[in-house]
Amino acid sequence: MNKAYINGTGCISPQHTADDAWFFDRIVAPDTDFMQAIEPSYKEYISPNLLRRMGRAIKMGVASANMALQQAQLTAVDAIATGTGLGCFEDSERFLMAMLNNEEQFLTPTSFIQSTHNTVGSQIALILKCHDYNFTYVHRGFSFESALMDAMMWFSEGKETILIGGIEEHTPCYVELNRNAGKLKNPGNIPLWKQHTTGYQIGEGGAFFAVSQHKTIHSRSVIEGVNTLYKPETPGDIMKKMHAFLERHALALQDISLVLMGFSGHSLHDKKLQEILPDLCETNQVGHYKHLCGEYHTASAFATFAANRMIEKQEIPEIVKINHKPGEGVKHILIINQYLDINYSFILVGQC
Amino acid sequence: MDALIEKLKTQIIEQLNLAEVKPADINPDAPLFGDGLGLDSIDALELIVLLEKHYGIKIQDPKDGKTIFQSVRTMAEYIKSQGKS
Repeated sequence: MNKAYINGTGCISPQHTADDAWFFDRIVAPDTDFMQAIEPSYKEYISPNLLRRMGRAIKMGVASANMALQQAQLTAVDAIATGTGLGCFEDSERFLMAMLNNEEQFLTPTSFIQSTHNTVGSQIALILKCHDYNFTYVHRGFSFESALMDAMMWFSEGKETILIGGIEEHTPCYVELNRNAGKLKNPGNIPLWKQHTTGYQIGEGGAFFAVSQHKTIHSRSVIEGVNTLYKPETPGDIMKKMHAFLERHALALQDISLVLMGFSGHSLHDKKLQEILPDLCETNQVGHYKHLCGEYHTASAFATFAANRMIEKQEIPEIVKINHKPGEGVKHILIINQYLDINYSFILVGQC
Repeated sequence: MDALIEKLKTQIIEQLNLAEVKPADINPDAPLFGDGLGLDSIDALELIVLLEKHYGIKIQDPKDGKTIFQSVRTMAEYIKSQGKS
């Protein structure tokens, strides 16, 4: 697979990521079990006529895609690939509630049209008048990774610029259901990577990347590789696959400036990552990120955004650090994500 | 008729989620589609549902929609003609 140069990024998350500032300086700590996205004024990014029909996932997706394109100074792309675990949940809920409340009468088209998983990708395509490839991956905890892999494979087929992104929105009803099912917990004082209780803080957001096959004057960092690992049986499996992944990119663990790990705070889901942590801390600077964005299907898109910012600024903020290892520069960041101890992935982001 | 027009304006704003528009901003004689409010084909479907839901009117022939949904006033006149106001 080819590399993907990041020329523009856009991110709406539970942190102040929308304004492209160094958001690590003004961290918003979670105060409940739901880390809601801090949404910008959408009028700056989306016309009012379109805005009135959009649910939050669509707004977050279209606005962050717009930010990424603006940064990359692009008005068109050769393809769009998005990833989402739950899609446009708010509109699905609205449509189903209307069915229930009106006894299956008077169903309006808007929420039905906007409820499909690929609405974000298609809205972006409509706005850009992009009639080229457009695909949405709904692969649970591999959704963003699949979109990323797709883009990297398209580069081998000759496409030059692609817009990729991961989007997730959660509604009060969905959060309540998760809460009642005992899946969530309120934040405490113990860092996520040290926790011994079940439950996590659920998060949401949208992160988009304007990527290209070749380096451009706008290139900020490069996604060197991505790999997924489904239900590894032991922590050793993760380490083995990680070393093999790095080897494929002619790297060893000591070449990695930061290993950014997806601890969710749920002790059962994090068990394998907790077991490999001491070894990684021996050799590497290790960090984590889900205390900043919460747990959700496409949290790895937030991690990729954060990694890009750290490489751009050549700084690893204290807020992400688990240990303290002196090192020079930020050349490669290896993201190790896990979702519910089912979907594991490696994303390698490098300096360019 | 004026009361029905005002009621319709509020219902249209709510149904179409025209958050930026106030009832006073809508000229009852201005076209709903194209110029004027600038509505589109999805809004037309929403307006059909609005008539059915709030006034019990089912538009049988889609061709009639062009005349009925010309403006807020034509909508009000149609509702009145159906004895549903």
